[in-house]
Amino acid sequence: MLAFALRRSLLGLLVVLLAVTTLYCLVHAAPGNPIDILLGPRGSPAMKAALEARLGLDQPLPVQILKFLGSLLEGELGIDIKSRRPVADLVLERLPKTIALLIASLFVAAAFGIPLGCFAATHRGSAADRVVGVASVSVISIPPVIIAIYGLLLFAAWLKWLPAVGAGERGDMADQLNHLILPTLAVALNWIGYVARLVRASMLEILNEDYIRNARAFGLGEWKVVYRYALRIAVSPTVTVLGIGVGYMLGSAIFAEIVFARPGIGKLIYDALLVRNYPVIMGSVLASTVILVVATTVSDILNALIDPRIREGQES
Amino acid sequence: MADGALVEIADLTLSYAGVPALRSVTFDVGRGRVTGIVGESGSGKSTLGAAILRLLPPAARVSAGRILFDGRDLLSLSQREMRALRGARISFVSQDPLRALMPTLTIGRQMTEIQFRRGDGARRKRLRAAEMLDRVGVPNPEQRLRAYPHELSGGQRQRVSIAMAMMMQPDLLIADEPTTALDATLEAQIIALLRELQDEAGCAMLFVTHDLGLLPELCDEVVVMESGEVRESGPVERVLTEPVSDYTRMLVRCDPARVGQKTRRLPTRSGNPDVGDVPWLGPPERILRHDPPMLVVEGLDVTFRRRSWLRGALGAQSDFIVQAVKGASFSVAHGETVAIVGESGSGKTTIARSVLALQEPDRGSIGIGGVEVVGRSPRELRPVRRRVAMMFQDPIGSLSPRFTVGSLVTEPMLIHGIPVPDREREAMRLLDLVGLDARFAERYPHELSGGEARRVGVARALSSSPELLVADEPTAGLDLSIQGELLNLLAEIQEQMGLAILIITHNLAVVRHISDRTIVMYRGEFVEEGSTEALFRNPRHEYTRMLLSASRHLQSAARAPADRGNEGAERPLPDP
Repeated sequence: MLAFALRRSLLGLLVVLLAVTTLYCLVHAAPGNPIDILLGPRGSPAMKAALEARLGLDQPLPVQILKFLGSLLEGELGIDIKSRRPVADLVLERLPKTIALLIASLFVAAAFGIPLGCFAATHRGSAADRVVGVASVSVISIPPVIIAIYGLLLFAAWLKWLPAVGAGERGDMADQLNHLILPTLAVALNWIGYVARLVRASMLEILNEDYIRNARAFGLGEWKVVYRYALRIAVSPTVTVLGIGVGYMLGSAIFAEIVFARPGIGKLIYDALLVRNYPVIMGSVLASTVILVVATTVSDILNALIDPRIREGQES
Repeated sequence: MADGALVEIADLTLSYAGVPALRSVTFDVGRGRVTGIVGESGSGKSTLGAAILRLLPPAARVSAGRILFDGRDLLSLSQREMRALRGARISFVSQDPLRALMPTLTIGRQMTEIQFRRGDGARRKRLRAAEMLDRVGVPNPEQRLRAYPHELSGGQRQRVSIAMAMMMQPDLLIADEPTTALDATLEAQIIALLRELQDEAGCAMLFVTHDLGLLPELCDEVVVMESGEVRESGPVERVLTEPVSDYTRMLVRCDPARVGQKTRRLPTRSGNPDVGDVPWLGPPERILRHDPPMLVVEGLDVTFRRRSWLRGALGAQSDFIVQAVKGASFSVAHGETVAIVGESGSGKTTIARSVLALQEPDRGSIGIGGVEVVGRSPRELRPVRRRVAMMFQDPIGSLSPRFTVGSLVTEPMLIHGIPVPDREREAMRLLDLVGLDARFAERYPHELSGGEARRVGVARALSSSPELLVADEPTAGLDLSIQGELLNLLAEIQEQMGLAILIITHNLAVVRHISDRTIVMYRGEFVEEGSTEALFRNPRHEYTRMLLSASRHLQSAARAPADRGNEGAERPLPDP
């Protein structure tokens, strides 16, 4: 098991390295030059050359990439062109807000989606199953931005139940949680429906397996057979999908953070893109890549914990 | 204990979503007696076992009848009362050992969890589990308790299932085709084990099977079922030797193991008056010995390596190497049928894959019609492939579900670029060749029965006019009557077209009727080779003798209590 976790983590690290290199090349190839933006139209060629040398942009691309990777190892992400603050500080400041939003969304998607899917599978063909089915599909088809805007209008502007903007007072846990509710709704609502569909489908398949019938044939209680035996296996594809889903959730989080003016990574990327603030774009995109790689690695390890066959690389 | 039978089923009628599955089924299972239920697929025999446990799919509806268990009608019990019987007084062993156990829990955990009714502690339960594993012949029980099901072989998993069922000390054990998925030697061991355990525990057993050969080994009474109805029931010897119903007579006649005379035509459901009248004598004229053989394999070695990419990159040795085939040499002449027999894992399918150029051998040569195929590029192989056809094991799974039968049977011609002026007529010709009606051309694979799908497989194989046919387990999972039809069809086509046929199988009864020469394979090596007749009459290698005795063992006439030894234990296998 430990070997499996180690192998997966190494693989994850490799993916991050590859992603960083690709990203650097993409940014390099993109039109527009940070030097022009920094110096404005009146910068002289001599000033441009001096700044290029200072930022290390005059060196060949492979050297630039290696230097960037080297500084990464020291926790350096470069300096924000606008505010002159270290990018690492900016990213670390925003990261917890985005991570909190992602974890809350994953939790909500699983906490509502899994029981709903289970219920639908065990009541297959009933009216309740159909209601869950229709509701899931409807919920899946609403774009997160729409949920965010209407959530804001309904719960913050009209009903005034929940705060509209920001991430809450520093140090005030209750206030921060309060500010988390609407963005989480926007990011997670799709996923509740999606997870419910997925769990229902895999539960129906597993409940048909011989080993489930055999467990019943030994007189084991229905609750135990369904929730302890069948669900444990049926939840495996959901874990994988949620792991990959973190990437999509990051996308939704950008919208949610913009609509609710929540100072997270998504908002940081958006603001930096508007002014071609390359170091900040690099730093924040790198942070989201790491989040995604960590999420998929964790989901792989969770699946290996659930199913011993995965640990040994067998097909399940 | 009350008097009377343990289970009395009376007038049981049941349907799946309106389609009748059981019709007025009536029979008893006596206390401590073994009742066999025999029938072909779709006869309702497995439904019966599930009905007693009341573990039927939701679509099932019982419209009449009752199932009395120890005097109580199971159909009138509440779910709660029913659950109290399951795993306590009635236990169950299912067919496929690979799917019977929870894949995510250790054997030990599963074996202790089913003892939830017992008051004693976890340690005591675990000890009992280990004792039971030891009793059913699983080596190193303590270590096995910590293993997950996928770490055990199929035979061992079936032993674990049996241990779990018998550990509950039931009054009734329902065993639903417990040996169908196993090899002949394993089957003999499991049957002997069931017999021993049943004898020891004195419980009643309901043994569901499609194999008549197993009945005398194990059962006291037998119930013969067809299309959801009981055709005949009574003591085993009487039913098998003097069957009163036409259906039972047909079943007994179609069992290739019971056709005493070695004939090339097997009896089928529709009957075959020639059976027994045409003994097969000497090498037939259809084998063209003077021509160079169609297939020549020499010194074939195939190994499988598993290598992790990390270790590979570091230049380390492979994780493990399995030598699947070691120095295999044989040939198949035009018009000849050669069978390779062996247990699963013996390497026989690997040979077939190599002949089809689907597996690159490490060493050796394979000549097809005088053309060497080893080391050729796919492009160079194309003209050779046209001369070789494959019949796959899984009949429906090997047919693409979105094509009609008509387009499936002619597809190989398009693949090989054979000009087809009238595809429809060509399809009719091929269907006619394998004895299928022209109507079948419009059907889709899921609308075919197992036997029909095999015929389509044969038609498909024949469409490129091959000279060599490779058939991997062509009769696996087929009912006996249909198996006979398929084998007859192959023999007929061979005579018409002069095909060379290579059959890969573990079914010895089939081999005896269809093949001219037989090769016995054991752990990647050929241990014996010769004319089928001689090999069956006078097996030389110890392993061949073991295979033959395992299959003969199951055909032995009656159940003799005297020879109940410790046959259920795993016997060490000889070295090749």
